[in-house]
Amino acid sequence: MAYPILNRRPQSRLGNIRSGPGDPRRNIDWTMLAPVVLLGVIGAFAIYSATYWKVDADPYWFTVRQVTFLIASAVVLVIVMAFDYQVLRERAYFLYGCSIIGLMMVLSVGALKGGARLSFDFGPISFQPAEFAKPAVLVALAAYFSESRDEDMSYSKFIGGLVIVGIPTALIIVQPDLGSAFVLIVGALCVLVMAGARLRYLALISFLTIVTVAAAVVAGIVDRYQLKRITAFVNQNSTDKDLERYVFQVRYAKRAVSTGGWFGKGYLKAPLTNGKFIPVQQSDFIFSAIAEQFGMIGGGVVLGLFGLLLFRIWRVGHLSKDLFGSYICAGIFGVVLWHVFQNIGMTMGIMPVTGVPLPFVSYGGSSLLSFAIMIGLVESIHMRRMR
Amino acid sequence: MASDRRSSRLAAIGIVAMLLFGAMGMRMWFLQVVDAPALEQKVQSNKTRTQKLLPERGRIFDRYGRIMADNEKMLTVTVAWEALRDRADRLEIFGRLAPILQTTVTDLETRYAGPLGADGKPKGSKYSPLLPLPIKEDVGEDTAMYLLERSEDFPGIDVTNEWKRAYPFAPVASHIVGYLGAITENDSAQYLDLGYNLNERVGQFGVEKVYERYLRGTPGYVKYEVDSRGVILKVVERVEPIPGNDLQLSVDLNLQQFAEQALETQLRLRRFVETCQAKDAKRKSVKPQFPDCQNLKAPAGSVVMMNYSTGEVMALASYPTFDNRWFNSGISGDKFSEIFPKTDDPDKSLLVNRAIQGQYNLGSSFKPFVAFAALDTGQLPGGEDYYYLDQGEYTLVSIDKETCQMIKCIYRNALCGGGNYACRYGRVNVEDALAVSSDTFFYKIGEEIFSERGGQPILQEEVRKFGFGSSTGIDLPFESAGRVPDKESKKKLVESGVLMEGESTKYLVGDNVQLSVGQGLLAASPLQLAQAYGALANGGDVNRPLIALALLEPGTPNSDQVGVADLTKAVVALNLGTKDTIRNLNIDPAVLDPIVRGLSRVITGPGVEYDFYHSTTGERLFASYPYEDLPIAGKTGTAQGAASLPWNDSSAFAAFSLDANQPWVVSAYLEKSGYGSKAAAPVVKCMFMATIGAATVADVLPSNPLDLTATVAAPERSLPSNRCLGGAAYGGRD
Repeated sequence: MAYPILNRRPQSRLGNIRSGPGDPRRNIDWTMLAPVVLLGVIGAFAIYSATYWKVDADPYWFTVRQVTFLIASAVVLVIVMAFDYQVLRERAYFLYGCSIIGLMMVLSVGALKGGARLSFDFGPISFQPAEFAKPAVLVALAAYFSESRDEDMSYSKFIGGLVIVGIPTALIIVQPDLGSAFVLIVGALCVLVMAGARLRYLALISFLTIVTVAAAVVAGIVDRYQLKRITAFVNQNSTDKDLERYVFQVRYAKRAVSTGGWFGKGYLKAPLTNGKFIPVQQSDFIFSAIAEQFGMIGGGVVLGLFGLLLFRIWRVGHLSKDLFGSYICAGIFGVVLWHVFQNIGMTMGIMPVTGVPLPFVSYGGSSLLSFAIMIGLVESIHMRRMR
Repeated sequence: MASDRRSSRLAAIGIVAMLLFGAMGMRMWFLQVVDAPALEQKVQSNKTRTQKLLPERGRIFDRYGRIMADNEKMLTVTVAWEALRDRADRLEIFGRLAPILQTTVTDLETRYAGPLGADGKPKGSKYSPLLPLPIKEDVGEDTAMYLLERSEDFPGIDVTNEWKRAYPFAPVASHIVGYLGAITENDSAQYLDLGYNLNERVGQFGVEKVYERYLRGTPGYVKYEVDSRGVILKVVERVEPIPGNDLQLSVDLNLQQFAEQALETQLRLRRFVETCQAKDAKRKSVKPQFPDCQNLKAPAGSVVMMNYSTGEVMALASYPTFDNRWFNSGISGDKFSEIFPKTDDPDKSLLVNRAIQGQYNLGSSFKPFVAFAALDTGQLPGGEDYYYLDQGEYTLVSIDKETCQMIKCIYRNALCGGGNYACRYGRVNVEDALAVSSDTFFYKIGEEIFSERGGQPILQEEVRKFGFGSSTGIDLPFESAGRVPDKESKKKLVESGVLMEGESTKYLVGDNVQLSVGQGLLAASPLQLAQAYGALANGGDVNRPLIALALLEPGTPNSDQVGVADLTKAVVALNLGTKDTIRNLNIDPAVLDPIVRGLSRVITGPGVEYDFYHSTTGERLFASYPYEDLPIAGKTGTAQGAASLPWNDSSAFAAFSLDANQPWVVSAYLEKSGYGSKAAAPVVKCMFMATIGAATVADVLPSNPLDLTATVAAPERSLPSNRCLGGAAYGGRD
């Protein structure tokens, strides 16, 4: 074994004689759940600090909703954990089909917002199929690649995987939601790497991504907003009036992060966060609220928690008893990693602005549920890693 | 098991992850530790920018704390100007917002660029460039939430809280409270000087207008530090706005509602009454060019109730009325023109407070002041013991017979005996003349006080003492001063073309004779009538009518009762309820007593015996009035209208209590509603019965939400019981 320290056997002290060491209930990875819970709590506080002034009669409006989502997500996480992920092996394509149908439906009958059809609206709750497509596509991909036991991926096998990822990605690009599409591609890349894709396959998929995005831009599917965001990213100090509002959001976010210093301005004492300057701070720019109020220390803690979470996911990918579990873990690792990097990166001006939430921290129910499902899957793999 | 390969691939992914985390960590460190001092430096050399914070407007209470004007939170959707600069962006955002906000792109574009001028170019937005552009006021909570949650889809959008005026008891007292409206172009310079933003709403009518500067409060501000690009860096200073003063009115909203109901009920009842022209000997109508008979139109009227010892106005009703909530209901311009049609017909004007703006002939209800003038100036030899033989008509004595061929020299009493001949009252003194309303007695005064004193305006000076011809000074806008006709005013009227051509520019004895019975060129408002009767009631104090009692410090709490503030916890900021006596006439009892006795007999009788018994004008109606509970004295008046047709008669009545502990004076004026004793007097009677509990007064209740589908300005309202309006009224005379 390459990493013996990671293969520590579960403790099997005397006292529990009813279940063996392989009992899933005794193999819950609490160290993976701890950062999830902490991030959720930090997120709720940060959301309150960024929204308490928004709804005059009810400063807790956003916070209460977020806490409700958190509790619902915890329930979902526990339910997913309780199932043996092996049941997904046979149902992977069914779930995949469902999410493709969901993505197609949202394109035709979804609520139109900002020129994009991203979600179904059910009264107070809206539902984004793209969020739920992420785990479904990864599971389908993992099931597909784990069917073969070859060490190296054949070209035909690769093409099949490309189709599985390509269809939902194309549907998401058409929505258009470039951020989610990239997340899916990064997740798929991780699965491909795990499944032994050759470098030229990876090069091909990167090339196809660029071509697809370029085609979407030329075809006018990617609208001017998204283009301007990229232009604004390239010219972050632009004084062009046309770019002003794309620039000023990031400029404030960066300023919020930088003026936080080591220890931050203190909770609810931050002039930018509590002075209502950063649009949609509670969802996409929540990290700026944390960094301004809790400084480098607070931002570092959040980054550290994500690092710990990713490490534990990565570790489960290593421990999994089968390739199916490893592939799922790798995909989810990629998705979470990309969410964190993309979101915090855009807050600090090293990535262009796309509407990608910070897992467990940002305000929003669909993404919370989606991440709860994914962590539940990883946990399920961990719990059943013993043969 | 390919554990090793799996490990190496996982290691590759892990390394990528570590690189990304490293990049994030570096960036954060760079931003916070390396970049921050440079930014702090930048902050030193910043400019500031100030945003205004609007205060909550003061509330308006009735005398017992019922909340007549309140404030509700209003959610307003705004968009940052920066997000709208690009025309294509703007049209796209507007296009998406319009259906959500149930408005049109054109409307939004007008808010952005202002209305189109004559050259087809927009004139510039009226909204402040420093504040985000408000694109829709008063949106629902759900719409606001929808937009806030999806603000990434609508760049620059925000929802702010503003105050919206609410009138919980509307339409009761709409004419008193008034309404808010946009600042008009004419007033814009004045309001800008006072520190207003041009998109603020200001009082345009009622006490909302008069007390605007107290109700508005003091705006606060936020001072921001901005960088060279005008981007906000931080808040330098925040001064919270100070809410406006609350206003306590003198009005009792229960009585106010009762007055409005009584007035409207009575006007509607009068419309069922048919009146016919007088017939000549051949039983033909006197004026054949007009129809014989016609229903009364009874289109409009007003009622005033005051406390005559303090001047406090208890109720002040005007009909037709309107619901002042229309003015902030957000209805379209077309809908507004439907509800408030532009009309040249004075009968239909809604936005006129007839109680203070009405310019009416008072008819015989003016006679007590003519009697005062006669007694006060010694015009009647022997004063109250002077008797005159009323034979039904009066011939001018100061005009020679030849001139009388050309002008009218014979003036007649009102008609008796079914309208066939002028009434004759026989030997009457001033008291009798008031009681039965003998015109000839006053014609004589009107002529002689003019002709025997060299045409001096003696009568005018005497009646002006009671406030006729000058504004009462009530704190309501657009009050008219009215007119006591004299040389100057008649000349002006003729020159300005109000009077027919051919009318003499001179003030003639005939004008004075007309004035003596409250006809002709006299113009007075029902409020002036009440003020003047109040002076008779209290022995000569002409008090300025008070509509407001006090300005209160902001923040009067609500009581447990819905729609009522707890005035026991109110702090008075400025007392407005101090009795304000404009003039103290100190009327000699020898002058006052016969007048008051005459007015009492109007209510109680007896009349005079000549040929047969002539009852007083109010005797029959007030037979059903509980006089012992609250003795009152009053006088009817019938003002003749166009062509002296009976359906153009307007009805006046004013009365006051004889009990100084219940110092009420009430006047009512019902346009084109018939005789004074038939239309106005029952309304006044109801008011007095209401004060002593003899008529059912409904408690005023917070009203239902404004029905936006309605097509009239105010719903129909009626008295809970119109029994108090009843009682036989003596017809035919006033």
